[in-house]
Amino acid sequence: MEWYWALATLIGMVVFFMAMGVPVAFTFILTNIIGVLIFYGDPTGWIQIADNSTQLITRFTLGPVPMFIMMGALFFHTGLAIRVFDGLDVVFGKLPGRLCFLTVAGGSVFSTLTGSSMANTAMLGALMVPEMKKRGYNGQMSMGPILGTGGLAMIIPPSALGVLLASVANIDVGKLLIAGFIPGFLLAGLYCIMIYMQLRMNPESAPAYDVEMPSWAERLKIIFINIVPMGIIVFMVIGFIIFGWATPTEAAAFGVLGVFIVALLFRVLTFQAVKQAVEATVKVGAMVFFIIMSSTVFSQLLAFSGASAGLLKWAVSFDISKYWFLFVMFVILIALGMFMDATSMMLITVPIFFPLAEQLGFDLIWFGLFVLMTFEMAGTTPPFGLLLYVMLGVAPKGTTIFQVAKAAFPFLVCDAILILLMVAFPAIALWLPSFM
Amino acid sequence: MSVIKRAYNALLFSMAYLSGVAIFAAFLMIVTDVLSRFTNLPPLLWVLTAVEYILLWFTMLAAPYLLRIKGHVFVDAVQQFLPAKVKFITAKIVYVLGIFCCVIYTYYSGLLLLEALETGELDMRSFEAPLWSLLLPMPLCFAMCAVEFCRYLIGIDDMYSQTITERESV
Repeated sequence: MEWYWALATLIGMVVFFMAMGVPVAFTFILTNIIGVLIFYGDPTGWIQIADNSTQLITRFTLGPVPMFIMMGALFFHTGLAIRVFDGLDVVFGKLPGRLCFLTVAGGSVFSTLTGSSMANTAMLGALMVPEMKKRGYNGQMSMGPILGTGGLAMIIPPSALGVLLASVANIDVGKLLIAGFIPGFLLAGLYCIMIYMQLRMNPESAPAYDVEMPSWAERLKIIFINIVPMGIIVFMVIGFIIFGWATPTEAAAFGVLGVFIVALLFRVLTFQAVKQAVEATVKVGAMVFFIIMSSTVFSQLLAFSGASAGLLKWAVSFDISKYWFLFVMFVILIALGMFMDATSMMLITVPIFFPLAEQLGFDLIWFGLFVLMTFEMAGTTPPFGLLLYVMLGVAPKGTTIFQVAKAAFPFLVCDAILILLMVAFPAIALWLPSFM
Repeated sequence: MSVIKRAYNALLFSMAYLSGVAIFAAFLMIVTDVLSRFTNLPPLLWVLTAVEYILLWFTMLAAPYLLRIKGHVFVDAVQQFLPAKVKFITAKIVYVLGIFCCVIYTYYSGLLLLEALETGELDMRSFEAPLWSLLLPMPLCFAMCAVEFCRYLIGIDDMYSQTITERESV
């Protein structure tokens, strides 16, 4: 079979089964089963699928995924997350649009501690939208910053999706996590600039209101108590990785321990909170692992069928700039992201895009971050971007998907600006990992 | 019948609990290992392999439970626009496909397990563990997933009765 038919068959099966509504994990299992029959021509190859399924998910490097989920869930269920918001609340004083800035700042901190975009968007939406509505903020200003900030969890370390991507693409987990640090906070800065510009154009979209502010000493005390301990946890996780004191899995486990200690100190550690955190870890972690279980066999099928090699050979035969390829990959990821979640996109595209990027001479850590950035954009791209629907689920009744997508648009522009900055100045992503 | 049903449900939920206990144990093991390294105590060399095994067991033990609570992510971009009747038929086809792949995996992972038990093959990692201990949860997981798809097929429940805000992902 020609490589393009092989590629179309495999990708076509994935897309077809997904469109039917087959759960993503079973879509890949089904594609692998049929793919083996087509390309190996013998059902005995099925024994190999079962055997290879254990390969990827028995890697120690995947350990940070459940640990980061547990850390975020514990942070949320103990109520420590709300304390961060309380701490940041006093920072912004009577600033116009303060709730938007609070969303970006709180969301950035929450992202670093949860690593989950969906959890981040759902939590920010449930917490901030009612308050913003009460204060007379319009839909654009209340939903936009939440949608933008919600996706930051994919880039700002620790990112569970970053660990998955690094493991599936076989790149250094620690380096990819650290690479997201500067771009993540740069993006948060761009969001703040965007909010400021929107406020300048339409001050009525987020009217200022009177806030009773505590004294400076009180404010410092609140900040010190509510924010600094969480900051220490984050820097402990990231520092352990940067200084090589621990592997990402070990650093992530220490992150969980850090949240345990802080929760204990604040006397908010309850058996119920721990139980809920472990339950969330099982629900999200096991679901994601069950999906990526099939990724090894899927990559092997792409390789065995000649699809990967054929596509690679074909792609590099064009005498065009590598940035055109980057643009094409960007468009494909955005298009896929309109319909499917990041884990599914990762499984389909990583076996094809990463060898291509390597062949074209892109640094794979940089490229990994580029892919994560694109995933983030795809999540808020209409018509089906997952985060748009999460937002719609927690938005006031009567909100339409069009209003949600419109609110997200300016923040998509910020994402695009960051990607362009990363292309022009790769050091934005690669400077920190260079110390490792 | 109700005894079998109760026993099956007890097994399903026990496996999910065990999955949670296992991942929490992994967290404790890793922390203990690092602390012993930092304090110049002998490192716990078995932790690495134990955690790797736990990652697999954690996934397999929870998978049937996730299917029960509709916790496996799916794409509903096309589904939501289908007429009710077509949607109903498509859902039934999906359940049959689910049963098909679970039966294949149950059978072949079962064969691998039997072979590992017969040969006593070892899995070489930071410590040597019998290979069957790695493969043991697979046939059980997929057999139970097949049962869960059967539940949906005969109409005990509908896998698609879930809103987007109830979904979870990374």
